[in-house]
Amino acid sequence: MPDLDDVGTLPPDPHRLPPSGEWFAADAARHLLDRPRHCPMCGASLLEDMHGMSVEYWRADERVFFTWCWSCEWTGEIVKIDRVVTSEPEH
Amino acid sequence: MLTVEQNEELTRVGPGTPMGELLRRYWYPIAFEQDFDDRPTKSVRLLSEDWTLYKTPSGRYGIVAEHCPHRRASLTYGVVHEDGIRCGYHGWKFDFDGQCMEQPAEAENQNFRERVRTKSGQAQTMGGMVWVYLGPLPEPELPRFDVFVQDGVRDVGYSTIPCNWLQIMENSVDPHHVEWLHGYYFEFLGRTQGFEAPKSFQKPHVKVAFDEMEWGILKRRVLQGHSEEDDDWKIGHPLVFPFYMRVGGAGIDQMQIRVPIDDTTTWKLFYSLHHPDFGVWEPQARPVVYEYLWKDEQGRFITDYIEGQDVMAWVSQGAITDRTQEHLGRSDVGVALLRKMFKENIKRVQEGLDPLGTVREPHEVIVLPCEKNKFGAEREFAEAWLTGGSSRYSPIQKELLELHRDAIAAKDRAAAGA
Repeated sequence: MPDLDDVGTLPPDPHRLPPSGEWFAADAARHLLDRPRHCPMCGASLLEDMHGMSVEYWRADERVFFTWCWSCEWTGEIVKIDRVVTSEPEH
Repeated sequence: MLTVEQNEELTRVGPGTPMGELLRRYWYPIAFEQDFDDRPTKSVRLLSEDWTLYKTPSGRYGIVAEHCPHRRASLTYGVVHEDGIRCGYHGWKFDFDGQCMEQPAEAENQNFRERVRTKSGQAQTMGGMVWVYLGPLPEPELPRFDVFVQDGVRDVGYSTIPCNWLQIMENSVDPHHVEWLHGYYFEFLGRTQGFEAPKSFQKPHVKVAFDEMEWGILKRRVLQGHSEEDDDWKIGHPLVFPFYMRVGGAGIDQMQIRVPIDDTTTWKLFYSLHHPDFGVWEPQARPVVYEYLWKDEQGRFITDYIEGQDVMAWVSQGAITDRTQEHLGRSDVGVALLRKMFKENIKRVQEGLDPLGTVREPHEVIVLPCEKNKFGAEREFAEAWLTGGSSRYSPIQKELLELHRDAIAAKDRAAAGA
């Protein structure tokens, strides 16, 4: 996870971050910076002019972005995967 | 989690804001008919603007910006005529559309009067309340939702809540809070303070679902010990977009209304209709109106009843909850869905389209889906509703308890073939 000092080296984010030093600020920075930036259906920006929306929620270890695109109105969930886990059927 | 800007977009309700423009496409109750029994005017605040609501001698309602465009005195202290309202300060008169009709101290041959127009809206009554519309014309029909127009015994609890309306709406797509806030926490309070908390709300959720529908979001749930064959799942109950929630069961139907007064104030009403099967009641001219309390003399939240617990949860989040600091989980997906619905309808308004729930056709009644059967435990449900909720502040609580008890007894007699 990047700390606040790294924020300046990351791609510029059009949105303000919570005041630095506040609880969760570093974490919030990470969450704002690596959320989906473009619609997976039409490629339109989800950030420009605040047109799109990605609401992040957690499902166990997974970070799920409930996403809506202003341009094509695609609605769906984008799940960030750090490790692929599967299970074997009984055999 | 939202950004600062996203949070602001979803919570600012003033003129010119995206959410404010969306919310101006709907009718809101802003006063009760009895408010005009003694005086013909009332100051009201809605969507971050101040208004004067007035009633003419023949019973027509009008609404204009409170401050006179001349020298800014309050029109609430004006003179009401059949065709408008006159400022008490210098006599400027405005019609129902806000057009200035008279400027007594100005020369008649000037066109100054024609150039002055104040903000105005539409107003009418339904269900004992005065409803107003502040958006662009032509105004949509006032939706005649079932609870407001059907026969029964009605009472309305109201209070002014110091928080943004959206956090109250988000509570309506958060079914899990019921088993914790109104179940586990209520039971804890009862155990430590020496009373018995209602058990109706303590059952854990096994499954919840949210379906987008023509009026908003239909919520369904299966509670422990029940199945998808029960009304709670088969029918469910709706969040009615953008500022109501419809609940009920066991001969009680209720519309919960969250009127966005401004960014940090909400007028919260519980409009209840009691009409149990086999019940007998006298016709009611107007609903009984009462204020429910949510803080005690020491300034602490009153949390020993259902709605008081909800108020604690809404208000203690802050005047506008900081959604950059939240951590949503799987059980909060209804909250994400509601935010998406607001964004979709902000877009519709910006494209010049009617948003969700706009009614253009005249109609008698709009019947909303809502569960009725409470697992065969009507008696317990009605008693818990009337003793464990805001109805305890209702001046007709005892009469309502009797209505339901008598109705259940009559139903039992009928079932026994008596």
